[in-house]
Amino acid sequence: MGAMNDSLPLLAGARRHCRGTALGLTLHVVLLVCVLGQLVYLATRHRARVDATSDQLYSLTDSTRTLVGGLQKRLVIEAYLSPNADLPAQLRDTRAVLENFLDELVQLGNGKVVVQRFNPNDDKAVLDKCTRIGVKPIDAQNSSTTAVGVSRHWQGLRLVYGGGRQKVIEQVAPTVSFLAEAIVTPAIKEVVTETRRKLGFMEWPSAPGGQEAQGTGWEYVRTLPDVSKRYEFQNLKDAEGALIPAEIETLLLFRPTDVSDRQKYVIDQFLMRGGTVVLFADVADYGLNPNRQCLKVPMGFDAKDSQWKWQDQLLHYGLEQTNQIVADLQPQASQAQNPLTGGFEYLGVPVQMGLVRQVPYPYFFHALDVDWAQISDRLASASGRLDEEQAAYFKRTLRPGIDTDEFVFKAFKQFKRTPGFYWPCVLHLRSNGAEPTLPDGVIGRTLLWSSPLTIVEEPPQSLNALLGRDLQSQLAANQAFVQKLQQRIQSEPRRQVPLMLDLRGTFPSFFRGKDRPQKVSEQKEEQDRKKAEAEAQPDAGGAVAQEPDVGPPKPPEKTAGEAKTSVVAEPTPIAVASAPGRIVAFADSDFLRDDFARGAYRQLGGPHSLFGAAFFPMLLDWLSQDSDLVALQSRLPADRRITLVDDLGDGSQDRLAAEKKLRTTQSFLVTMNVVSPCLLVLILGFAVLFVRRSQKRRFLSSVEN
Amino acid sequence: MREISVIFRRELKSYFLSPIAYVFGVLFLGVLLYLATQRQIVDGQQASMQAFFGLLPVVFLFFLPGLTMRLWAEERRSGTIELLMTFPVRIGHLISGKFFAALAFLAVLLLFTIGLPVTLATYGSLDWAPVLGAYVASLLLAGAYLAVGMFWSSLTRDQIVALLLSLVSLLLLYAFGFPVVAEWIAGFLPTWAVDLLGGISPYKYFESIARGVFDTRDIVYYLCFCGFFLHANALVLNNRRLKG
Repeated sequence: MGAMNDSLPLLAGARRHCRGTALGLTLHVVLLVCVLGQLVYLATRHRARVDATSDQLYSLTDSTRTLVGGLQKRLVIEAYLSPNADLPAQLRDTRAVLENFLDELVQLGNGKVVVQRFNPNDDKAVLDKCTRIGVKPIDAQNSSTTAVGVSRHWQGLRLVYGGGRQKVIEQVAPTVSFLAEAIVTPAIKEVVTETRRKLGFMEWPSAPGGQEAQGTGWEYVRTLPDVSKRYEFQNLKDAEGALIPAEIETLLLFRPTDVSDRQKYVIDQFLMRGGTVVLFADVADYGLNPNRQCLKVPMGFDAKDSQWKWQDQLLHYGLEQTNQIVADLQPQASQAQNPLTGGFEYLGVPVQMGLVRQVPYPYFFHALDVDWAQISDRLASASGRLDEEQAAYFKRTLRPGIDTDEFVFKAFKQFKRTPGFYWPCVLHLRSNGAEPTLPDGVIGRTLLWSSPLTIVEEPPQSLNALLGRDLQSQLAANQAFVQKLQQRIQSEPRRQVPLMLDLRGTFPSFFRGKDRPQKVSEQKEEQDRKKAEAEAQPDAGGAVAQEPDVGPPKPPEKTAGEAKTSVVAEPTPIAVASAPGRIVAFADSDFLRDDFARGAYRQLGGPHSLFGAAFFPMLLDWLSQDSDLVALQSRLPADRRITLVDDLGDGSQDRLAAEKKLRTTQSFLVTMNVVSPCLLVLILGFAVLFVRRSQKRRFLSSVEN
Repeated sequence: MREISVIFRRELKSYFLSPIAYVFGVLFLGVLLYLATQRQIVDGQQASMQAFFGLLPVVFLFFLPGLTMRLWAEERRSGTIELLMTFPVRIGHLISGKFFAALAFLAVLLLFTIGLPVTLATYGSLDWAPVLGAYVASLLLAGAYLAVGMFWSSLTRDQIVALLLSLVSLLLLYAFGFPVVAEWIAGFLPTWAVDLLGGISPYKYFESIARGVFDTRDIVYYLCFCGFFLHANALVLNNRRLKG
């Protein structure tokens, strides 16, 4: 008992010790949590990050940096955001992305960017303002065990630049940072662009299949939001034939046909004063009726009473346009990149339920980002035997499909192809057969080339590849159509055809030493004058007899028309360019045509020039050297599809065989990737087991011995 | 440092000498690679390891507790922990040695998956930087999971209990990183608590590194996370040593 009594203080001490230890432990853990939590918090506030992705998808682009860094006035971003805690799951992540992006903008802006946050759910005045300026709520459905309801959330922005220009982004819910940038940065660009650049254009819309001309012009690409908010277009194909106004620096010519001498003169003089002419050329106009019968519509370059030829004028500047069209038989050139979403880009046949089966049509193709010189050996191998001389020639002469590093193609290089061309024509630099023979002071280069498997021909009357009403007959007709071309290419020389050219320099005037074509009013005036002269002819003697015989003869009185002409007197024709001009020429105009770019044939299975509409704003930015948005435009996810079956062959590969091969390759790869590592681990395990056993056996035998 | 190295080598060797480790390896690789190749090569046809690294946290979730359950529980069950405690090494060294050995074993297993990115790079244009980033992120995530598993293993002598505790706690931590779960718990927890739970979920940070963005925030988070659980592990063992 005494011993027990002795041990009591000891037990009590142990309990106290335990309590002390537990308290200490708790304090220890709490302190540790605090310290580590603080560390994480500090690391969140002061972050350093490295975006290791090759396309820098998670970093702000140079576009945003340049734009925000160069702000002259204050940019206020009014963010209308409902509280984070109220947001449904699907919006919460987008809010975090948006908030991060706005924070980055503020940091980049160095005080020039201010973000003001408003909660429309809290304040009636803010809610009214939101509705008034056009910010739209996001209605999210939420359901619980007892009820289903719709909650209203706000996530919109208004950008106000310098207290004046503004732009509202109705809703913004980016899932990743580059989407936030893709939405907000162009809006910043729009709001800081105070003057729209003026561009002139002349267009000659077609009337395919005898239809009305409406819908087959080039209005769609000119009215795209990205374009119309930053560029102002002026139609300069007026009846009078006035010279191009001085403020216009770029003139777009959409498929010149029936060009009058006066129009030729206007274009020539524009070029002489240093303007940039962008030519979208074609030599044949094919109509696409609902049956997609590609029938040639007659067209001519020159107006009826034209004295000078358009082709001669182009040749004078160093650009040769022949009356031929191009077909590219390289299978990849006429295939949509994504058969599911881009199947309409070329020619397809509706199968069922809105699905389209793409069919080859070599007259619709794009330039591929392929260095064709690298496949010289294959091109020079006929029936398995390599013609080394020819291979060496191909290596020397073949050019990459996209033969430039200009930023206009930066985005397209990621897709490894350019926009599609539709029945393009032959357009190349003037040459003597071997070397370009451009005018003195002019330099030219080809930016885009077709593949070496190209056919050049006079435009046939019909290029219909889909005869018949039902699917089978259409496919059979298409196969026959393509086979015919494939047989033809066997006897054709391997050659590439330019698809885009760029000429710069001091061009010689086509009208040097020629009579200046008159304006319509001048022509009319001259006709009136001649008529008046003809009428006055019989009374000429009497009139002279009535003239007084004193003093110097009076100058003849000017007519009202003459007086008007003298007021807006035509400047003296420029015979030698006063400033370096530029011609950018495309061998096609259809890829920007309204019906193609808008997707008028989408329901029929195409074609739909998806990339054409995307290319046009980039082209304008490139021409005006406005590279602000280029980094953003080129920020497209790179094409990372795996090609398990190589179809770069002659295009005659049977689809079923290809699919079978694809399945076999897939099975092989799956087996290889799953079984091999497991087998390796097993082998390693067995190896260790055997070594251990032998070691054990040796040990036991040594012990026994 | 020398002590850590000795324990590390001993532990790693024990992994490779045990047939269970090979069975674990084959199962882990088989499940992970089968699911990943189905999604990557058959369905996706993209030269990207997103599907693989998307699966990895889930596969880790179910396999890593199996790896960590025996780390301390087995020592306690077989009575070797007392022996370990008498070694002239600090508990921190013991924990670090075991932790890094488990991590190294897992790294070796992950090395066996390198065939998949190589295949994708052969047939497509694979961006290697995010792949390497994702492997680093996988190791960090594995470290976090191992630390949690080791902590639970130190608390009990029963391996199954350790396994279940690890599994449940990791599952919860993983789930808190998902907005749907966050929204659900927001129904009965205050916002700050929801944010806190979302903030401690390792999944969010894994996703960030795995896409190829190395952020000091994510790395500091993982170091702190591992540090916390390893330290808690040390406290438990130290307490036991003091109790004798």
